[in-house]
Amino acid sequence: MSAYERVKQWNTFARIWHIYDAKWQNPFDSAKVISKHIQGLHKPIYHPLNNCGDHVIVFNSRHIALPGYEWKKRAYFHHTGYPGGASWTLAWQLHEINPTLVMQKAVKWELPRGLSKFGLMARLHIFPDEEIPEELLKNVTSQLRQLRPVPRTLDSYSDKEIEEFPKVMDYPNDYILK
Amino acid sequence: MMNIHGLTKTLASRSFQSVSVGRNIHVTATSFLKQIVEQKQGKTLTIEAVYQPSPRSSTLIKLPEVEDKECCSLCKLDLPIKHTDVLILSQFLRSDGCMLSRRVTKLCSKQQMRMSNLVSMAQKAGLMSKLNPRNSKKNPKLRYGEKKFNNYWDESLMRPL
Repeated sequence: MSAYERVKQWNTFARIWHIYDAKWQNPFDSAKVISKHIQGLHKPIYHPLNNCGDHVIVFNSRHIALPGYEWKKRAYFHHTGYPGGASWTLAWQLHEINPTLVMQKAVKWELPRGLSKFGLMARLHIFPDEEIPEELLKNVTSQLRQLRPVPRTLDSYSDKEIEEFPKVMDYPNDYILK
Repeated sequence: MMNIHGLTKTLASRSFQSVSVGRNIHVTATSFLKQIVEQKQGKTLTIEAVYQPSPRSSTLIKLPEVEDKECCSLCKLDLPIKHTDVLILSQFLRSDGCMLSRRVTKLCSKQQMRMSNLVSMAQKAGLMSKLNPRNSKKNPKLRYGEKKFNNYWDESLMRPL
């Protein structure tokens, strides 16, 4: 085997570590992308019996964004097994308790049903903030693209930028600025 | 005691005096809409109040020419404005975050409604938190309950123009 063939072999079968910034991202849309990379569905050598999935590190999971009023409309169901043991936790309450759980459950639901889920979920590493352990971060060789642009607040623009931005509307002559 | 007529008379004379001397005494509330210009030509002194140019006049966008004369500025521009375009949306707001009236914005009723809906979306998403009443919570992270977390809005669900 030539050196080129050998490197090609390594690159094909090596486990890649991806990193994903979840800031202002919808966890349910991101879960579709993340679950594909965890299973290895993006690779041409994919086969259900082939263990070719990658690792994904998700950070800033505390700063995920849900559309509209979904923080208070989405409920997470749990039953203890005893009579009257049902409970419904709203998404914002769950996120307050643990800022990684909404993201984790979103990816878990996206994976195929069965016992392979446990092995696949072990390749997902979620961190609520920007602090990632050094031993995980040194493996990272690839970054997943964000699905939504991170919006800029009005405070992040300087006064000069706001002033020089093209104006759509002018005040009438007799308007007193407030 | 001075009667009302006499009071107004003295006030009028005082205001005239302040103008001619150039002192900064105002009888009514100051709005700084006009600037007093004094011009002397020979023996005649003309005192004139001139409207000052608005602070936006230098950065106004040039509108494309459209056949329909009753088209408002946003209909002419035909921009796909989203709730994240805070630099455009903040142009329709007062410093306390209230929407300007249609008399001021000169938009058609549909665009005015759309802009006020987009502004409320941007406020809920915490993108324009400084443009709020003085005593309100300016930091969106300190809001109560589900409001402290990030959210975004879908403009495709809005009523089409």
